[in-house]
Amino acid sequence: MSRILVVEDDERIRQSMRLALEDEGYAVDDVASGEEAVARFAREPAELVLIDLMLPGIDGFETCRSLRRHSTVPVIMVTARSDTHDVVAGLEAGADDYVTKPFVAKELAARIRALLRRSRPDADGPSVLTFGDVELEPDAGVVRRSGAEVHCTRTEFRLLCELAGNPGKVLSREQLLERVWGYDYFGDGRLVDVHVRRLRTKVEPDPANPQFILTVRGMGYKLAV
Amino acid sequence: MAASEAPARTSASVGDPAVPTGPGPGRGSGGTTRISARLGLRARVTAAFGVGAFALSAMMAGITYFAARQSFLSERQTAVQRQAFVNASLVQNSLRSPGIAVNQLLESVDTLPGSRSVLHYQGQWYATSVSVGQSAIPAPERNLVLAGTPASQLFSAGGSSQVVVGVPLPAVHAAYFEVFSLDELANTLRTLEYALAAAALVTTVAGIAVGRWASGRALRPLGGITEAAVAIAGGDLDTRVEAGDDTDLQELAEAFNRMAANLQARIEREARFTSDVSHELRSPLTTLSASVGVLEAHRSELDPRAQRALALLDGDLHRFKRMVDDLLEISRFDAGSAELSLDVVDPVELVRRAVLATAPIGEDGRRVPSAFPVEVGPGVPGLRLEVDKRRFERVMANLVDNAAAYAGGVTRVVIDREPPAGEGDGPATAVRVAVEDGGSGVPVAERVRVFDRFYRGDRSGQPATGDGTGLGLSLVAEHVRLHGGSVRIEDAPSGGARFVVELPLSPTGRRAAP
Repeated sequence: MSRILVVEDDERIRQSMRLALEDEGYAVDDVASGEEAVARFAREPAELVLIDLMLPGIDGFETCRSLRRHSTVPVIMVTARSDTHDVVAGLEAGADDYVTKPFVAKELAARIRALLRRSRPDADGPSVLTFGDVELEPDAGVVRRSGAEVHCTRTEFRLLCELAGNPGKVLSREQLLERVWGYDYFGDGRLVDVHVRRLRTKVEPDPANPQFILTVRGMGYKLAV
Repeated sequence: MAASEAPARTSASVGDPAVPTGPGPGRGSGGTTRISARLGLRARVTAAFGVGAFALSAMMAGITYFAARQSFLSERQTAVQRQAFVNASLVQNSLRSPGIAVNQLLESVDTLPGSRSVLHYQGQWYATSVSVGQSAIPAPERNLVLAGTPASQLFSAGGSSQVVVGVPLPAVHAAYFEVFSLDELANTLRTLEYALAAAALVTTVAGIAVGRWASGRALRPLGGITEAAVAIAGGDLDTRVEAGDDTDLQELAEAFNRMAANLQARIEREARFTSDVSHELRSPLTTLSASVGVLEAHRSELDPRAQRALALLDGDLHRFKRMVDDLLEISRFDAGSAELSLDVVDPVELVRRAVLATAPIGEDGRRVPSAFPVEVGPGVPGLRLEVDKRRFERVMANLVDNAAAYAGGVTRVVIDREPPAGEGDGPATAVRVAVEDGGSGVPVAERVRVFDRFYRGDRSGQPATGDGTGLGLSLVAEHVRLHGGSVRIEDAPSGGARFVVELPLSPTGRRAAP
């Protein structure tokens, strides 16, 4: 049974989320603040964290960054505002995905399942993918740059595997959203954009002038061969 | 849509001193003030300049004319008098010599051109010209001079002005007269009249020209304010006018800017309120939604009555969520904060996906394919459309929902290019998506109003199924407009309504996604 940590200051929402997630078969831990969340996670790591962006004390962004310093645990941001820069800021703070209040329990469960899904992009593919001085082992979930291990979240890793598994081929945002996040055609392209940015800071020598993960204007992204 | 009400109100109250310039909502609101009667401001200023220039130049011409005339006349009279006295003394001296021929004497008198001499001597009248005799001299002067008093008089005879000078010569019992015609002077004065009239005319025309130029110049800042008002009415609420360093205009410009700022603040306040309300509603909605989800999962444990109640609860909760989302969306449009997140896509794929997304989810968790066809016109495959996919998906969803609620559902969707392919009209500039329904159409009179918020017309007499939020079609219009496109209603060939959405291949002047 996967353990999920819910960080939400509204008591009633917290209770209803606990009920809904337990129905979906998850073990739920809930806390009301960012400080508690960091402390609880340090004691009992969860397999996925749901963080409300608007929290008293340290906010959702800061909570997410604190967790990210020590962990690659999948994080879903819960936001009341999908239009503002909150989404991008949340993703840049390290979140893997976001849901907008009020969410349908089934949809939230689907997002959780997609993130907890084990990464097996191509079972018959090569056991090691390389580009530049970067080396990744899809089965082991390991990325190395010049021999040193790079810490990637599960989502970043899956995205990197998709790109590295199709070198030279342009992958549209829709394709990446579908393959990495399990979204349909109308998923939020910002998820891909922010994750690509995050990946570049980890594998590119100069993230501002990427050599490997290239943007193809109006088309999508591709890995340079 | 709120913007469409603005022009009627702003157009009225510009430039009237009665309009309060201070802040304070409500003051003078709703009232309209008339700016002027019939003539425009510019025409009136020009006319005033023209009339002023005419009056002034006419007066100056009159004064000049009369002064000149007076001066000419007195000068001529003086000359004539001097000459007459000289001649009179000559005549007197000659008459002293005996045996003088009076007629010859008169002939020899040296007179100014145009003057004639008349002499009364020994009870007889002599004259240099047969046409001029004693009768040419007005009677009062004649008698006065014959009585021994010199006289000089202007008079008019036979339509021409004349001067008569009479000098009594008592020493020889005679009286000498000279009659001088002023015809030449009259000619000079007539020329002067023409010259002055021409000058007055030129001055008047110049006055009108100056008036036109000056009023144009004075009103030029009003042009700037008009442009600003039009921009504000068109929704560009950040527009302000610059007063420059003209102190007279500063007041107007400041009042205008204050008005614009108040208007903007008010609209933003309203938009923020809507936005805040819909955000506040989200917390209880989240609890409701999650809890209903739990109930749904335990549906089979409920008795049939509770199941029906749950179905109603679930349905209206869904509708409530939609309404909150729509209100939030609308508040973004009202606040001007709606932005496009553009992707370059295949229009056919986009429409197919959007149509699929409107299909209900079946028991197996998959979308049930729609019952209506999606037809693709010639020349559409291969086009690339730059579009905000999420907004387009909402447009299609709202059109499909609308058809389902009021017109018995969609009968077909047609994708075309604009201009149509194969007519030699050049490359495509836009994509047209038509959604046709099986209803009885939308009356022409309602084809614009159905895009109003919460508009509930008598749509073909069909009862609404209660799914709509009343905002769907107005959001369709807003989403499409944000793309620089348009939406309209036509008659479908099948008899129903045909909602035509036209999107430019590339929205111009908007933020593009990376």
